[in-house]
Amino acid sequence: MKLISAQNISYKINEKMLFHNLSLEVYSGEGLHIKGGNGSGKSTLLKILLGITSLSKGLIEYKNQDLKISYLGHKNAIKNYLTPAQNLQLLFGNASLSNAFEWLEKLNLFQVQDELTANLSFGQQKKLALIRVLAQSSELIVLDEPFVGLDTAASDLLNSFFVQKLSEGTGLILTSHIQPSVECQVIELDKANA
Amino acid sequence: MLRLIKIESSKLFYKLKSWLGPMLIMILVLTAFPLSIDISQFDLEKFYFSIIVVSLLMTSFLATEGMFEEDFEDGSLEQEFLIEQDFYKVVLSKIFVYVCFIGVPIALIGAIFSVANGVAIESFVSVFLSLSLSNLLLFNLFAFGNALSINKGAMLGVLTSLPLALPVIILLGTAIRSIQYGNGFLEIISLMIGMGFLISAIMPLIISTALKTHID
Repeated sequence: MKLISAQNISYKINEKMLFHNLSLEVYSGEGLHIKGGNGSGKSTLLKILLGITSLSKGLIEYKNQDLKISYLGHKNAIKNYLTPAQNLQLLFGNASLSNAFEWLEKLNLFQVQDELTANLSFGQQKKLALIRVLAQSSELIVLDEPFVGLDTAASDLLNSFFVQKLSEGTGLILTSHIQPSVECQVIELDKANA
Repeated sequence: MLRLIKIESSKLFYKLKSWLGPMLIMILVLTAFPLSIDISQFDLEKFYFSIIVVSLLMTSFLATEGMFEEDFEDGSLEQEFLIEQDFYKVVLSKIFVYVCFIGVPIALIGAIFSVANGVAIESFVSVFLSLSLSNLLLFNLFAFGNALSINKGAMLGVLTSLPLALPVIILLGTAIRSIQYGNGFLEIISLMIGMGFLISAIMPLIISTALKTHID
């Protein structure tokens, strides 16, 4: 089942064409790895696919308007003045809080759950932010550089999460300079723009 | 909407500086003023309202500073956009929570201090209502200013929206005079309620457009 498709999309910023006539499709259980150098427009492409940034030209279609998407961009969307436990309560309410706390334990953050998030290391903050995606059920997962700041154990955990989610039929779109261990179709923005 | 109100309330509850700061400043100004003048030479009840109005303006100005900035900086706005598909409900609930948890207590402090400084106790409800409605209007206007300059320092935007607050101050002044002289209060307060509803409905629409432009 097709989750998302982009047809001939173009994006221009400050007279610079970031990409032109780019087309892509992501089906259930399929991954898409967007590659490219710094400033090639990987994050912008993700935001365009999510509807956060308006495209200059082209068309984006979703499976349906209520497509459940989990997204984590460059910004962690966590509150530094709260503890990890409070952040999770804010994110998940009571619904899937136990699942979120399981991830907190798996990511070795359980012992720092009552410390201020501002006092955690960059990697720990990134792990906490990733729980937003890991503990949520969704049809499409969109991640911008998910491996940045993660230790080997957490990267392995993330890779096995990808394998599991893809086997369950969830779609995956990610940008990364690090090769994920799951099989994905690849778009290289540098080449697409050439 | 309830989800958003719960989230905004929790966030504000933990941001002690955002709600306690304006209230303490309000209390400080209203306490310090009578102490700093020779009250035997002045008819305090007549002009104490002016101090309340200025304090109200200053504290609502402070309370709304950084209203959207933090969510913009940490990426929460993007996340909310994904869930809600626009910012209208986000803005509406944020302003609602700020008015309820900061605006109304500030109005209550103002009303209590006005009574403590010689204003008739019968006027308490009228003063409280006028101040609360003024805060509703001011918070909406300053939230707009905040959203306009979200990536250039929120204070700048709040400052640029300051002239928009002048009609609210004039309206509040008229309401206070009508309380002091005992006539025309119902007309003024009806006008303020009407404006409150109108601004509360329209302003989140304008603010949400401004926020979308910023994350775009």
